[in-house]
Amino acid sequence: MDSLIHIEHIMKIYNPGENEVRALDDVSLDIQSGEFVAIIGQSGSGKSTLMNMLGCLDTPTSGQYILSGEDVSHLSDNQLSDIRNKQIGFIFQGFNLISNLTALENVELPLIYRGMPAKERRECSLEALKIVGLEHRVHHKPSEMSGGQQQRVAIARAIAAKPPVILADEPTGNLDSGSTKEIMKILHELHDSGRTVILITHDDEIAANAKRVVRIMDGKIESDFTKEQ
Amino acid sequence: MSQLKEYIKMAFFNILSNKIRSLLTMLGIIIGISSVILIMSLGNGFKNMITSQLDSIGTGQIAIMSMSDTDLITLDDLEYIKENVEGIQSYLFTDSRQGTISTPKGDFDAYAYGCNADNYLFEQYSVLSKGAYFSEDDYENGKMVCYISEDDAIKLFGNTDVIGMTVDINIQGRIVEYRIIGLTTFADNASLVSYSYENAPIYLNVPLTTFESALGLSLPEDTYAANLMLADGADSKSTCDEVINILESRHNCKGTDTFQIQSFSDYMATINMVINMITLFISLVAAISLLVGGVGVMNIMLVSVTERTREIGIRKALGAKTSSIMLQFLSESAFLTMVGGILGILGGYVGAFLISQIVSLVAPTYAFTPSIGVGAVLITTLFSSAVGIFFGIYPARKAAKLSPIEALRRM
Ligand SMILES: Nc1ncnc2c1ncn2[C@@H]1O[C@H](COP(=O)(O)OP(=O)(O)OP(=O)(O)O)[C@@H](O)[C@H]1O
Ligand SMILES: [Mg+2]
Repeated sequence: MDSLIHIEHIMKIYNPGENEVRALDDVSLDIQSGEFVAIIGQSGSGKSTLMNMLGCLDTPTSGQYILSGEDVSHLSDNQLSDIRNKQIGFIFQGFNLISNLTALENVELPLIYRGMPAKERRECSLEALKIVGLEHRVHHKPSEMSGGQQQRVAIARAIAAKPPVILADEPTGNLDSGSTKEIMKILHELHDSGRTVILITHDDEIAANAKRVVRIMDGKIESDFTKEQ
Repeated sequence: MSQLKEYIKMAFFNILSNKIRSLLTMLGIIIGISSVILIMSLGNGFKNMITSQLDSIGTGQIAIMSMSDTDLITLDDLEYIKENVEGIQSYLFTDSRQGTISTPKGDFDAYAYGCNADNYLFEQYSVLSKGAYFSEDDYENGKMVCYISEDDAIKLFGNTDVIGMTVDINIQGRIVEYRIIGLTTFADNASLVSYSYENAPIYLNVPLTTFESALGLSLPEDTYAANLMLADGADSKSTCDEVINILESRHNCKGTDTFQIQSFSDYMATINMVINMITLFISLVAAISLLVGGVGVMNIMLVSVTERTREIGIRKALGAKTSSIMLQFLSESAFLTMVGGILGILGGYVGAFLISQIVSLVAPTYAFTPSIGVGAVLITTLFSSAVGIFFGIYPARKAAKLSPIEALRRM
């Protein structure tokens, strides 16, 4: 199995014992390098929980997760930090930019934690900002930018370190239709340039952008459908 | 370690972007450090002033003491030491009698201060301003002469034009007359000893021999303590040893500790020690306010961690390790207290300088220059950073331990 992402019988149980919530209930999934996958489901179905798991922000209650050939199911916090830094680019619904840093400084953050020297860091960050079309806004603070622009900064931050996986949780949830189109266009471009994009959404229309759509419900995979070209 | 620079930079920018809060946080540290520095530099300045004054007063003086009730230091001993010890220039042998003086200006309490002719050598905080001291000859012959201070002359006669005039002093019902032959005034270096108060007694410095010749008193022949004056350039240690040797052999008490010597530098060491202790004590009290400042820093850092939970979550999601977050917050509190410390040092020194300026305006005789050593400044800066690190550890740990999902969920 040479999948980029391989999860097998993953369980995530909150409040074990009484009142327990099976946020993920025996989920198995394979994602190949270069895929564009949408994970769709209703509110409370377990999408964010799955994203936390795939993004190595959380560890499963049971089951196995192999990312780029490495078992990451039971790593320590610091090891997970390292994996996130090298393997995953996050795009969140709420942008999650740091408000007192400029666009450029925000994009530089993952590179700082990677230990990249300042000059190289700046070059990578500027390049990423150029990809999302924000080369004229590098020294602006998030508060001086529109929602769509902020999300583009977040995308630049996610791709600056060139991680193999891009994880986007409702990236357009807070945006109008114009900005949504822009963001989706950028995600398409990233996919076209060979990156693996995992898009989490509750919106069928957005999900339709992806070639493969995985639908989850009550913590279980309900369907896994790949469009024919 | 290249990342450490980044964390320090982050800390720096975060402090800058919260200027008012950072300043208020630092205030406790600033006050603490500046009080410590203020006290230390005042203490040092004061010590320097006392040292330089006492230095010029006490140079060359040695006090010898007898610890025994039977073997006292005799006048013969002193005369012998003066004649035979090369390093000893002179000795002081005195006695005084209380009395009263009446002049048209009023009635005064007075002392006849009988001494040998070398007395003036020991009076290093006063200098002759008019006339002369009494001579060896005056002493030998018990001449009825005296010298007094200008202050006393003004008290007695209302002016300092008194050379050649006589004063009558009533000692135990006997009235004797001394002729004034000299006037003294305080030396420049004497601000510490140059006090004079309303009813201070008048001092007539007279030949000790006149106590016998004019008053019919028998002269003291021995004393528990006497002062010796070193000759110029004499080595005080070896001279002291020689004096002790002579005394012990003259009194047949070799090897006992009957006679002891205290030189002026011993007194100085004692005085310095007392000032050091006082400075240290007050500094310690001031250092308590540093502790309070440290708690203030901890409080603000805790607030900051809560406020920035989301930022911490973002950083962790992007790959920050526990240690990175820890270092970032620790640098912030260390930086805050270090800057606070530097401002405190400046503030403390400026404060001490202002106080010294006020002192030199109000009481010029006590004027001094505050001083603080490089070592003290370094130690204070390090100490205040250490306070920041110590009180920053708990908030920083709290920040670093946050789980990224928990932190991100919070808005
Ligand atoms: N920390 C937690 N403790 C207890 N239960 C939790 C916790 N986090 C999530 N859950 C539960 O797990 C289930 C899945 O939650 P999840 O956040 O993954 O849903 P979602 O699909 O992302 O929903 P939405 O579209 O509203 O974001 C929900 O029932 C939720 O209540
Ligand atoms: Mg969700």
